Amino acid sequence: MANIPIWPGSSSFAQVSSSYYGSPSVWPPPTPFGFYDDDSQFQTDANKVANFCALRLGYPIENVELQDINFWAGFEEAVTIYGNELYAYQLRDNYLSLEGASDRIDVNNSVFTPTMATIVRLSQQYGEEAGAGGNVDWLKGRLTLVPGQQTYDLAAWAEEQGIVGGIEIKNVFYQPPPAINQLYSTALMTGQGGLGGVPPAGIYGFGYGYANYLMMPTSFTMQNIQAIEMQNTVTLSNYTFNVINNILSVFPIPGTGFAGADLDGGEDLYYGEFLIFDFIKIQDRIDAAFAEGTNKIVNVGNAPYVNPVYSNISSIGRSWIFEYTLAKAKEVLGLVRNKYSTIPIPGAEVTLNGNELVSSAATEKEALITRLREYFDSTSRQALLERRAAESVARVQEINQVPMTIFIG
Amino acid sequence: MALYGGARDVSMFRRVNRELMGNIISQEVIFYKYNVTTTKTNMYGESVEGRNFADPIILFALVELGSPESPTSDLGVDFTWPITFRFLKDDLLSPTLDFNVSMSFGSNLNPLPGNYGANIQPAVGDVIQYQNGYWEVDNTYDTQYFTGKNPSFPNNDGNGNNPINPGLDQFGYSVEVRCDCHYVPSDRLNIIKSRM
Repeated sequence: MANIPIWPGSSSFAQVSSSYYGSPSVWPPPTPFGFYDDDSQFQTDANKVANFCALRLGYPIENVELQDINFWAGFEEAVTIYGNELYAYQLRDNYLSLEGASDRIDVNNSVFTPTMATIVRLSQQYGEEAGAGGNVDWLKGRLTLVPGQQTYDLAAWAEEQGIVGGIEIKNVFYQPPPAINQLYSTALMTGQGGLGGVPPAGIYGFGYGYANYLMMPTSFTMQNIQAIEMQNTVTLSNYTFNVINNILSVFPIPGTGFAGADLDGGEDLYYGEFLIFDFIKIQDRIDAAFAEGTNKIVNVGNAPYVNPVYSNISSIGRSWIFEYTLAKAKEVLGLVRNKYSTIPIPGAEVTLNGNELVSSAATEKEALITRLREYFDSTSRQALLERRAAESVARVQEINQVPMTIFIG
Repeated sequence: MALYGGARDVSMFRRVNRELMGNIISQEVIFYKYNVTTTKTNMYGESVEGRNFADPIILFALVELGSPESPTSDLGVDFTWPITFRFLKDDLLSPTLDFNVSMSFGSNLNPLPGNYGANIQPAVGDVIQYQNGYWEVDNTYDTQYFTGKNPSFPNNDGNGNNPINPGLDQFGYSVEVRCDCHYVPSDRLNIIKSRM
């Protein structure tokens, strides 16, 4: 029958470690993953923390049914959890600066200076919608206007252009001619043309398109332009459009008013024969959400944080680690004692304290994690800036209490 | 195939038992093993010149002391005082077994010399001293098995294999040896207390 050793009162991490990492390797390894086995301070503290845990669990007054490797496994786990919590907070603080950066950088040992890179990138979507920058190309479309035709199928137009996935209209340039164009007439070669012609009349003031015209004072010109605009607003159709279910409707209907001068030899459409509009390809907008991410930090999962270096952890962190190791040891001891609800003894059975140990360990672990997170929360960049701002306010308030001396010269 | 009550579990039970009986309850008795070979007998098989015993052995035990009674008969007033001693069976086995070699381990988990393994088989006629009284064993039992299995009976075939449950000798646990005894006045025994 097996005789499994239990905690004898001391341990030798170096001996077990040298046996396992030597040649030939002797089982068992000192820790399950070996993350910190070669750290001299970890090696030293491993023995101390094992002794600490055993004493806190009742040794030598009572047996502790654990071995040194149980304590060391808990110790390794505690260091790893401490590192995970620490770097998770650091990652949360700095992810906006990290995203898109190389995944080969040594983030564990980097001092972070926040950048706007990700913020700008996140803002590109707004720029694209506003037509001021962004990461989606705005394209120009040209629709041939047909006299008497008020509606135009933009989906069909996009299909004709070979565009897949649809388009989204950004601007439609369907506007009345500027009043300045009505100020100068082609029909009058000299002098001012009064309020000139109006678009339906096709008479655009005077001198339009020709070299010679009479320059008037700017104030006079401005007054005339305003008068023409007012007249257009009151007497003429308002140029407008709408787009509903891919159908573009324009008002007024092209080429249905009074025919004016035929300036280009085609059928008169007042001026221009094409309707110009800005649009984007919807697929472009979808594609803009993705960028090549090879060898880059693309999510919190591949941020290149690694386990901490134990010897770099301060006493604050180590104290937490020791306590967490104790909680882990208590949990394992509870599980060992709790595998069977009762233990047979001669003529009877006894119930061990496994349940109490497990529940107590769970409570302690939760409290330790909460304490650590609160500590990290209070030292986050946001919290530090808020504290600094509060300090600044308090300092000013205190300075204001100093009496102001008035000098009379 | 057996899953529970394996040797590792039993190892822990043994430690708990020894901690409980040795360090917590700590009831000690002195076991006098009846020496058949040195005891002289008459033609009826009765001992003459009294019984001889082997050297006494101190053991941890759980003691259930009954009520003393003084029944009256035609022969006069008698005195009875039943008692039951429960021993951890492993304590009575050979000291060379691995779990009796040592229950303590050095810093490198190497065994240290231990004090377990009395290497005795309690039997009718043995005498057990508890405090200042002596009790003679009437009956012994070792029928308390964890998970109902006694690893001493793995039901192996002629080739040493159990075709249904291989390795059954690594499962189960024979926990105790129970000795039901009756009180014996010390003047009937060849045991004389010479020192306090």
